[in-house]
Amino acid sequence: MGLESIVFYLFAVIVVASALVVVLSKKIMYAAFSLLFTLFGIAGMYAMLMADFIAVAQIMIYVGGILVLIVFGVMLTTKITGVDVKTGPTGKLNYIAGGLLAVMVAGSLAWLYTSNSWISAPVNETNTSINAVGNLLLTEYLLAFEVGSVLLLIALIGAALIARRK
Amino acid sequence: MINFDMNLLTAHLSQSISVFAPEIALLVTFIVALFMDVVFKKTRNASGYTVCVGLVVTGILLCTQCGVKDNIFVSMLAVDPFALFFKFLILISSLVVCLMSFFSDELNKDDRKMGEYYSLIAGMTFGMFLLTGATNMIMIYLAIEMMSLTSYVLAGFTKEIKRASEASLKYVIYGSISSGIMVYGMSIMFGASGTMNLVELAGLISAGKVAMMPMIVASLMIIAGFGYKISAVPFHFWTPDIYEGAPVTISAFLAVASKTAGFAGFIRFAQMILTNDPFLDWKIVLAVLAVLTMCIGNLSAIWQNNAKRLMAYSAIAHAGYVLMGMVVMDEVGISSIMIYLFMYAFMTLGAFAVIMLIANKIGSEDLDDYNGIGYKMPVLGAFMVIFLFSLAGCPPTAGFVGKLYIFTALFESGSQWAWLAVIGILNSVVSFYYYAKIMRNMYLRGDANDTVERYSFSSASIALVAIITVPVVLFGIYFGPIVEWANNSVALFFN
Repeated sequence: MGLESIVFYLFAVIVVASALVVVLSKKIMYAAFSLLFTLFGIAGMYAMLMADFIAVAQIMIYVGGILVLIVFGVMLTTKITGVDVKTGPTGKLNYIAGGLLAVMVAGSLAWLYTSNSWISAPVNETNTSINAVGNLLLTEYLLAFEVGSVLLLIALIGAALIARRK
Repeated sequence: MINFDMNLLTAHLSQSISVFAPEIALLVTFIVALFMDVVFKKTRNASGYTVCVGLVVTGILLCTQCGVKDNIFVSMLAVDPFALFFKFLILISSLVVCLMSFFSDELNKDDRKMGEYYSLIAGMTFGMFLLTGATNMIMIYLAIEMMSLTSYVLAGFTKEIKRASEASLKYVIYGSISSGIMVYGMSIMFGASGTMNLVELAGLISAGKVAMMPMIVASLMIIAGFGYKISAVPFHFWTPDIYEGAPVTISAFLAVASKTAGFAGFIRFAQMILTNDPFLDWKIVLAVLAVLTMCIGNLSAIWQNNAKRLMAYSAIAHAGYVLMGMVVMDEVGISSIMIYLFMYAFMTLGAFAVIMLIANKIGSEDLDDYNGIGYKMPVLGAFMVIFLFSLAGCPPTAGFVGKLYIFTALFESGSQWAWLAVIGILNSVVSFYYYAKIMRNMYLRGDANDTVERYSFSSASIALVAIITVPVVLFGIYFGPIVEWANNSVALFFN
């Protein structure tokens, strides 16, 4: 096993384990903090794929921005920090059906990923992908880039509208 | 790595922008409408009027695009007669919804600011325009997200009403899961083929270069995303709750425009990708979806006691009829879908408009409160009966013509889909029961004497409903031009 595989499995374990904590933890604060490790682990994966720009963006936006907002949101919402997440009674049938579905999805995805040849992009020898990303965004993906900014504007207006008192 | 000729690219982009004019007009409308509310503080509807004007201007710009067939922004979007047909349909429904909103008491209560409401409608129309033409998976995803984000906010616009906020939150949860599934499917498709462009992807698939498993799994996931937008069973669970909680105008918008755009995107995806798949005959999957959607939509609608919930299940059932047209998936099938959606738009908008005007008077959408209401509003009641007959598919209304073309397309495609048409016809019969239930409550229950006090409606609101009634009646008798338009649009789509 090469160094690359070791690093990959390290990140994979971090991502999966902390994601499980996010889902299974009954305390919102714990869930919010373990999301930190999930997002960090994914940034590590991006870095391994030589996608340095995405990795940095992942850390700056998700870890630095969104996660901090989530934690603030949890802390500023009154009395929620100590409260357990309430769930309704889960019947045996739900466990069995949910478990079955999860196993089926996981199995078919595992089969999917191991049994097929995937197209992989040529390894980029240059040091950074920022040039390529910038060029593509303003040429081939110009429309997607512009529409993305309109989408964010709509999200901003919508958020302001929902948050406004009246 | 990037070997664009800069001059060629600039020329292509400026050509693209000239073909993109209607969408640009919508964007300008969206932004100007936002500011109108700040500039004109006294009048409530300034931004509403702006959006109406903007939509009309967009319509005029669309008229200049007849017959244009182009691929713009480095094959991100296709501008073709197929998309044009759907753009006109979406534009008309947006305009009608804007006009309806002027008369809604629920929206115009107190001194609520309506600027964001109208500008978000323009923004949503922009998203739907993109979906009709998207030929790149990134554009499909962005367009669907844009439609979803605006509809989340619009569904919860009357946020002092608890069920509206509840509807909005439910919509966010369902919506984000389904678009998550869709984008996951797209990533699998990209991983297996190396391209996001539907045209290239179609070439790779028909050349057998995409493996079977990723193709099937990814297509199923993408169908789930589209199925959510068109509220096909089993992706329909959000529909009744959101339609019931949202303002009536927005329920109408979701039932007509959003569904039409979803179908436009779905048809393009299915026609380019699914029909080329050598591994699985997707027609069977679509047929199963159609049967489930029709049957569950119609059978659940029978038990509903709330007019908006009933219309939600009716909208699900109608999605099932349209899916039957998709099973055929040739020129006849797609043009029958276009005719059906065209007819469906007017009758649904009309029914929702009457439900809204009734709710203005009695403050409820409960069918029990509709007792004897037909005598209190004779004119609107008569219009409502026309819409309901049309929704049930009775001749000589527009709804009958739509259903006729769908069933004909199924029978013409050979005997293999005759069973599907039979199920569809049986479902239409079932649907008549619950549409008749509304009429029964309106006319046969409650006081039926002439001394009943009549509701007074503003003549403008009655005029609006009357204008919606015109196409429902007219296209039931004289539908030649619509059929011809749909056929021409499809013929150019296939070549």
